[in-house]
Amino acid sequence: MISITKTPKIAIIGNPNVGKSTIFNQLTGLNQKIGNYPGVTVDKKVGTMSYQGSTYEIIDLPGTYSLYPNSEDEVIAHRVLNQLSETEKPEYVLMVIDSSQLSRGLFLATQLIDLGLNLAIVLNMADLATKRNISIRTFEIFKALGVPILSTDARGEKGLDQIRELIHTRNFSKKGSFLAIEEVVPITLLEEVKRKFNMSNNYQAYQMLRFGRIDKVIAQADRDWIKSKLEEINFDLAAAQLEETKIRYRKITKIVDQAVVKESHPKKEKSGLDSIFLHPVLGYVIFAAILLIMFQAIFAWASVPMDLIDGFFAELSGKVSGLLPSGPISSLISEGIIPGIGGVVIFIPQIAMLFGFLAILEDTGYMSRVVFLMDRWMRPFGLHGKSVVPLVSGVACAIPGVMAARNIGNWKEKIITIMVTPLMSCSARLPVYVILIGLVVPNKTIAFVNLQALTLLGLYFLGIIGVLGTAFLLKNILKTTEKSFLMVELPSYRAPRWWDVILTMYNKSRTFVMEAGKVILAISVILWVLASYGPPSRMDEIRSTGEQKLALATSSEMEEQIQAETSSLLLENSFIGIMGRGIEPVIRPLGYDWKIGIALIASFAAREVFVSTIATIYSIGGDPEDDLTIRQKLNQQIRPDGEKVYNTATAFSLMIFYAFAMQCMSTLAVVYRETKGWKWPLIQTVYMTALAYLSALLVYQILS
Amino acid sequence: MLKTADQIPVTQTAVIKEIIDSPLKINLMELGFLPGKEITLKFSAPMGGPMAFKLDETILALRKNEASLIEVQLL
Repeated sequence: MISITKTPKIAIIGNPNVGKSTIFNQLTGLNQKIGNYPGVTVDKKVGTMSYQGSTYEIIDLPGTYSLYPNSEDEVIAHRVLNQLSETEKPEYVLMVIDSSQLSRGLFLATQLIDLGLNLAIVLNMADLATKRNISIRTFEIFKALGVPILSTDARGEKGLDQIRELIHTRNFSKKGSFLAIEEVVPITLLEEVKRKFNMSNNYQAYQMLRFGRIDKVIAQADRDWIKSKLEEINFDLAAAQLEETKIRYRKITKIVDQAVVKESHPKKEKSGLDSIFLHPVLGYVIFAAILLIMFQAIFAWASVPMDLIDGFFAELSGKVSGLLPSGPISSLISEGIIPGIGGVVIFIPQIAMLFGFLAILEDTGYMSRVVFLMDRWMRPFGLHGKSVVPLVSGVACAIPGVMAARNIGNWKEKIITIMVTPLMSCSARLPVYVILIGLVVPNKTIAFVNLQALTLLGLYFLGIIGVLGTAFLLKNILKTTEKSFLMVELPSYRAPRWWDVILTMYNKSRTFVMEAGKVILAISVILWVLASYGPPSRMDEIRSTGEQKLALATSSEMEEQIQAETSSLLLENSFIGIMGRGIEPVIRPLGYDWKIGIALIASFAAREVFVSTIATIYSIGGDPEDDLTIRQKLNQQIRPDGEKVYNTATAFSLMIFYAFAMQCMSTLAVVYRETKGWKWPLIQTVYMTALAYLSALLVYQILS
Repeated sequence: MLKTADQIPVTQTAVIKEIIDSPLKINLMELGFLPGKEITLKFSAPMGGPMAFKLDETILALRKNEASLIEVQLL
């Protein structure tokens, strides 16, 4: 007989902060895949474990306290465990419980038993419980529940081997039920649901009754059917759910009383660290200091690999264009595709480092303290305590910031956070600010304050004002039935698990490259085509005139000058050039001419492209990164009426425009990836552009 | 005297009498805020920010309006 070898699926589930992800990471290592669940923004984490020649598929489910879904995360756990998800139907479920929080863990575990799942329980962090003078009689729990229980510490290698062995021997068991749901819900109703949906389990039928109406994967007709059934007998499900919770906890308390032995006089709980970290004044000072150190480190350390990456790709495209016969293919590869890939890779150091720091803060338990401290200040703007991290990350780069918004459970608060994070002044705005400030703000010090520095600081504040104002606006526009709440555990402080930190850095970078990378590459190729092609006859004419002039050149300076002028002319006549001229009537009131229009369109790729584009437009030869030459050149630009192009009004109008406008395709791509659709990135781009336009208009009209 | 948990002074312990009906009742209960349990207010964020309660072996942070759903008796 041929046996069909099917990889068994094991789902890992547990309350938040029980070390569930550590177990998942240790079991699967680098063999992880991050995918999507249909219809939600939650990531699906699946990995494979190999043990003694067998392979197992492990699914890491989001942490939850119960099978009552409150957030998108919990909807997923609910859906998979209720076997409602078509693609993911785990055969076995491994439930991880924190040994010092037995009753909370058993609440979920007994619900899983009631669902009739093949279950095993891991009592994790046994060492911490011992430290707290708690000892657990595992056998008592086994007697009461009837499912295999393993008491261990998954941070050690021995504990992990025990877990692998448990999975390998399929030491899971299905135990009828823990709580008879028929006691709170009429059995006739349950029977009807079971018949309708072809179910065999009463608790599953009850879950369908309770949550089927709000789960979008269930057909509308079925949802209506459930609604009509409930109305028919006028049954109050919410009351039944409360009743169920009470009975369940009563039964659990009995087990816990039997199983947990607290040694007399537990040591006085150390809350020493928290009295510093949560101090009403000191706590904020420490938080600010940690942020400062973090960003200093990111700016200082990330710039080294970023420069290397930059140099590598520049050299690569030089080599490739030398190797390939010159023509459209060669320039597509060396000027379109290679810089496009480079534009994706360049973000990896910042993403990896930021998420490395965040993983450390999360793992040590400090992050929930930040949420505790900041929630009060975020709430008036429709944000959550957890929004602090994305917003603060936005100062370095909006991309990891938007990715960090993932942890916010409430849909509305998550969307608001994603929408406003790109308004923070990121590091890519700096080059634009520096050039323009140098141009129009005198380098003078008045009463110890340097005017240029003051202007820069003002631009950063403007970003924050934009964030808070927009968040407040969205708070009043977006509608949701989800109730905002903050119920977060402040876990004990502990040392970070470095392997988890490294895996987080790796996974976040990979997700960015694989998913946002495609969009970034596509847009950069399109922009390259627009900037290097134009109406052929006109482009050819410019090229041949340039060559004729070049032939007559007598010195290398002249050659350089002619080449710079030719590329400037080519850009002017390319499709982007034509578009730049096309939008001139629209940007005229902001004080911009068509040359600035070209730079605006080209710098949609990334803000810093503004600098290199104007360098090309004004045919600035030599080192285009040299601020001084660019500044001098810009200063010489004169309008037909004799006025300087880059006068104070125009420069400030431009700065304001760059403070608010989207102008970053990578952010667009990452918002697309995080919201799993084009709706929000498009709304965001339109909104930010409109905000930028109107603000720049206002500033120019006042100053000019 | 019955109070709600948001009125517990810092470092004071109280015993939970009842969870007031609201959509969040079930969330509080699944976290272990149940009648009969003792809670101690450990920290309170400034300007009416969240409050951190010790419940069994863990510290849980709630917003003030969530804490006001928990009826307690001071010990």
